[in-house]
Amino acid sequence: MSKAIYRHIPISSLNEDELLALSQKMKLSLSKADMLAVQTIFRDENREPTDVELEVIAQTWSEHCKHRIFGARIEHTLDGETEIVDGLFKTYIRNVTFRIMERKPDFVLSAFVDNAGFVKLDDKLAVCLKAETHNHPSAIEPYAGANTGLGGVIRDILGAGKGSKPIASLDVFCFGPPDTKQEDIKAKDVIHPLGVMRGVVRGVRDYGNRMGIPTTSGAIQFDPTYIYNPLVFCGTMGVIPIADIAKEVKPGHILIAAGGRTGRDGLKGATFSSVSLTTASHEEDQTAVQIGNPIEEKKVADFILAAREKGLIQFVTDCGAGGFSSAAGEMLSETGGEIWLENAPLKAPDLESWQVFISESQERMVIAIEEKDLPAMQEIADIYQSEICVLGKADGTGILKVMHHGETVCRLDCSKLHEAPRRHMKGEWTTTESEDEGCFISFDDSPETGNQLLKALLADFAIVSREPIIREYDHEVQGNTVLKPLAGASGDAPQDGSVLRVDGSDQLVSLGLAILPEWGKTQPHLMGRACVDECVRQLVAMGTNPDRIAILDNFCAGNPDDHRELGALVETTKGMAITAEAYGAPFVSGKDSFYNYFKTSEGPISIPTTLLLSGFGIVEDAKHVVGASIRKAGNKLCLVGQASSGLAGSVLARVLMQGAEAGEDDALDFPNGPSFDEKETFASYHRYYELVKKGMVLSAHDISEGGLAVTLAEMGFSGKAGLKVDLMNVPTLDDTPAAEHLFGETPGRIVFEIAPENAALAEEQGFTVIGETTDDGQVTITNGDDKLIQASIAELKPIWQNGLKQYY
Amino acid sequence: MATKPKALLLKFPGTNCDAETSSALQAVGFETQVLPSALLELSSLKDIQLVVFSGGFSYGDYVMSGRFAKLSTKSKIGEELKSFVDRGGYAMGICNGFQILTQLGLLPEGSLIHNTSGRFICRWTGLKKNAASPYLNELPDNFELPMAHAEGRFVGIADAAGDYVKNGRAALLYSSDVNGSTHQIAGLQDDTGRVFGLMPHPERFTIKQHHYDPDWNGAEHGWGYYMFKSVHQAIAA
Repeated sequence: MSKAIYRHIPISSLNEDELLALSQKMKLSLSKADMLAVQTIFRDENREPTDVELEVIAQTWSEHCKHRIFGARIEHTLDGETEIVDGLFKTYIRNVTFRIMERKPDFVLSAFVDNAGFVKLDDKLAVCLKAETHNHPSAIEPYAGANTGLGGVIRDILGAGKGSKPIASLDVFCFGPPDTKQEDIKAKDVIHPLGVMRGVVRGVRDYGNRMGIPTTSGAIQFDPTYIYNPLVFCGTMGVIPIADIAKEVKPGHILIAAGGRTGRDGLKGATFSSVSLTTASHEEDQTAVQIGNPIEEKKVADFILAAREKGLIQFVTDCGAGGFSSAAGEMLSETGGEIWLENAPLKAPDLESWQVFISESQERMVIAIEEKDLPAMQEIADIYQSEICVLGKADGTGILKVMHHGETVCRLDCSKLHEAPRRHMKGEWTTTESEDEGCFISFDDSPETGNQLLKALLADFAIVSREPIIREYDHEVQGNTVLKPLAGASGDAPQDGSVLRVDGSDQLVSLGLAILPEWGKTQPHLMGRACVDECVRQLVAMGTNPDRIAILDNFCAGNPDDHRELGALVETTKGMAITAEAYGAPFVSGKDSFYNYFKTSEGPISIPTTLLLSGFGIVEDAKHVVGASIRKAGNKLCLVGQASSGLAGSVLARVLMQGAEAGEDDALDFPNGPSFDEKETFASYHRYYELVKKGMVLSAHDISEGGLAVTLAEMGFSGKAGLKVDLMNVPTLDDTPAAEHLFGETPGRIVFEIAPENAALAEEQGFTVIGETTDDGQVTITNGDDKLIQASIAELKPIWQNGLKQYY
Repeated sequence: MATKPKALLLKFPGTNCDAETSSALQAVGFETQVLPSALLELSSLKDIQLVVFSGGFSYGDYVMSGRFAKLSTKSKIGEELKSFVDRGGYAMGICNGFQILTQLGLLPEGSLIHNTSGRFICRWTGLKKNAASPYLNELPDNFELPMAHAEGRFVGIADAAGDYVKNGRAALLYSSDVNGSTHQIAGLQDDTGRVFGLMPHPERFTIKQHHYDPDWNGAEHGWGYYMFKSVHQAIAA
């Protein structure tokens, strides 16, 4: 092809409605206010925009790229009282981090400015973590959607600093229940949850395994609200020399594109992600889903890491949503510069100019180098068999000028391009807490009820072993995974997260995450707090220094224009900020995804407000690593934290309510959630860490979904000993009923194993000995003389271990 | 030997276990070089004692595992690699490397095909020595290593696999049926014993802490360490 294909779109004389109609016709996803702002930009220049310019603005201003809802001014009403939130991101995320950075000056090295935030590992190295969602592509095409979801976040890490080395990945999914009946799915073309699950898992597997990056952590939530709009979060952790974090594009640098070729796949992904799904999406939006090629990415990864080691990279970033337009736009946002589209290698020769510039074809990176280094870059690219081209040049004009075969197809002032109009929105929330304590569950003096409930919980989709999926991921490649997702005497017992060695350092990194969408349905504020706590707690339980933990927030929500849904999001964010600040855990990166709802013929179905809180921290010595599997009989069990009343959001409440729906019982009500105090809790994590440093903690497991009884059973799945606990010894915040003791999910709690000779020291640190490990192979929980649970681990383990096997 | 023996690790597009394999070889006393396949030439094997084909997904393994890597190796150094072995050189293939060595015809005839489950399997497996091998001298009769592969089921024509078990070409067997491999074959050697391939990953078990059980105390190092140590001893002897 020898000429540019573009056209001018007359907009200067259009009225508001015509502008909006144009936005819809071109699938720009721009609002009326946005289109008016666009019209002003071009009226000021006394000309009409090209299609390339409109597409660039649409991508740049899309919710997916610009996160305009987290920047919006929100009038939020809680229980009738209205406040103004001057930007959720600024108020509850960025400012929290800035205050923590002041308090802890030598930990966070960068946050919110790069593809991922960095924290200090040691004097030479830094680690970073980034998580992203790929929900809409995975709904339409589960395999390719999840495949490129992981591929995309790996590129984020390759483009963090001057090129970070990916060392571990995490994946978190929210699906409809595997046993959903086909006839219960209320919209045509929606893929059954089993199809989504299998496709998504294989997509992650085939990208992660081929890249040689261990997938070490994850979670799955099953809930009917995710049938129409599943959620797929992918995250990757990276490591880089501290000296290679800072990067800058200067006038005179040339821009190189490396990796895959540009094609029609992945057109308008950013704008597609910024609207709701409908049955039509399954038919019309297939071009928005890209095809992954992990070996192409492996080659470009090897190339970038080698070039960075040779000091040739001045700046690098990935082609994510928006393709060259977002990568080059970011790189030239300060200096301005020229792009030469004709140089980009194409998959098909007849692409229009705008398609070349915004295509989201996978496996592409853009790198700024000094012009003199081009031959050296070409040599390394040849060695690793990665195709490169000179895409453009930074020139210091402040203008983004896109050329195609000598014609200017786009000419935008960088300062205007990045100033999207601010949104004004409304949120409201009404708390549902009640004086009424809700349903009371009585336990007779035999352990029958307790055993039955424990078995039901262990078999629930929320808790069953993820082993069939975990085994499809290579979680040990790179040879650094020392705490694996499955461990214990037979290598199949659950852990709280993972711990990895880092080449070139004596210190290790831990990876953990929390996601509690059930809590978000009725108590979003508590969900925000509990997610931060659970993630930090897992990291602490595994032996992480509580003062060296950083976290990430990934939000998914339904319709932000629905006041209640936005209100739930505001409440979640506020809760999250409180606990993060109390724990001194800075947010170093995050992302949000809206419009996760599906328009069925019977009305829209939204997901519940969902927060994935992932985190990473520093384990200072390999000897500090603590697993969640019991080591031997004859040891003591201690508890961090205390029990409290309130079952709202718990797996027990859900299981009982499902039973009631099936007509087994009267209506059940669980109005209140559990309570915990951040200050006290975090102090207890510090005291626990003192024991970790002394090497006294033999095993530890957080109490989360399913409560104390499930935690004890899971610790026993190591196969090395039984466990016996007396509730009389368990400290409580209030007059906690037995059901809450056994199955309540009060945050802030860790059960840990310690040798009998060290029990006195644990007590001195303020921990209570609640029981011991035994050689009878049983999980036994008593309340004084009453036996509440007594079940053999050999009987419990298969219930938990085989729950998912029949579906995957 | 006064100087350290030299190991050359070939890196194809998609090879991804080269770094940790190189570290494991260094830990037992090898000098190592990772060589991207674009730079591979006839002289690459000069002064090398051990050629290693590391794990990964060479060229994506989309066609058949190891197929493209075999073609690329054969066209560049095919005959030279054979004469390298004839001259007394050692060659080791791990996982995808085992698949490549099998394709190259340097190991007893047969194929590594999809596991019977049709799935990728990442787990630890028991192994037992079935014959003497310079790669196994320092190991006990029964030991464990991690495995991670989708195409690790060894099949041969007629009862070739049975013959290999009898004549010792099948130097290493799984202690249980983990992937459907005929006669539970996990690793093979050639007539000389200097060419050895296995599906499990010795480079992922070089230190105690690699083991899934924190109480593991089978030896001072992980079993993989002793596999690399064995071949180091054999070369240094």
